[in-house]
Amino acid sequence: MAPRFEYAQAEEVRDAFARHGVRYLFIGKSGAILLGYPDTTQDADLFVEKTEANGAAAVRALRELRFELTESQAEEIGRGKDFVQLKSGPFDLDLVFAPDGIESFAEAWRRHLEVEGFPVCHPDDIIRSKEAANRVKDRESLPRLRAFRDYWLRNR
Amino acid sequence: MDAEGAREWEAEFEAAARRPLKTRLRYAFIHTYKPVLDDAAYRSFDSLAEYRAWCAAELPEWLGYGPAV
Repeated sequence: MAPRFEYAQAEEVRDAFARHGVRYLFIGKSGAILLGYPDTTQDADLFVEKTEANGAAAVRALRELRFELTESQAEEIGRGKDFVQLKSGPFDLDLVFAPDGIESFAEAWRRHLEVEGFPVCHPDDIIRSKEAANRVKDRESLPRLRAFRDYWLRNR
Repeated sequence: MDAEGAREWEAEFEAAARRPLKTRLRYAFIHTYKPVLDDAAYRSFDSLAEYRAWCAAELPEWLGYGPAV
């Protein structure tokens, strides 16, 4: 099992993705946590823009971060399979190229926020994606997440 | 959510806002073994619908990855 994700790993992702010019956003609960949401999660979810150049850049960044990717896996990430789960590196990462409930990366980018250099989806987008996913665990977390969104909007 | 519960959440949000990001992340990410889900180093799906269907079919229900009804 990979070590848990910590601030240092978040910095590694931010810096490696920046060096390779990857366009991405933290999404899901990990994104909310970056915005101040007090809760726990098990992995980091990244919404990666689905273009050939960006996928190739993501592969280069992931390899620099010591994720072990075969050529066929790199090819899948490069062409942007909608959901990729990585447990072959120093920490666990989920790559989402087409999250539920968000019309496009460009729209999410237009609304996004920066927290200490980390690009993060707007809380409304995080909530929309969880509403659309509609899993048991999402339904359970949504009331508290909506309350956080309202608190965050009042205090930003 | 009753008023007391809402006040408790508000107090938690305020306490979190006072902590530096580094501290928030230290306590936010946990790692417990999730059967099936953690048993492969790599998985990919052509669509989230395909991923959701896989979760519903393959993962233990108690993990909470299945569809809410």
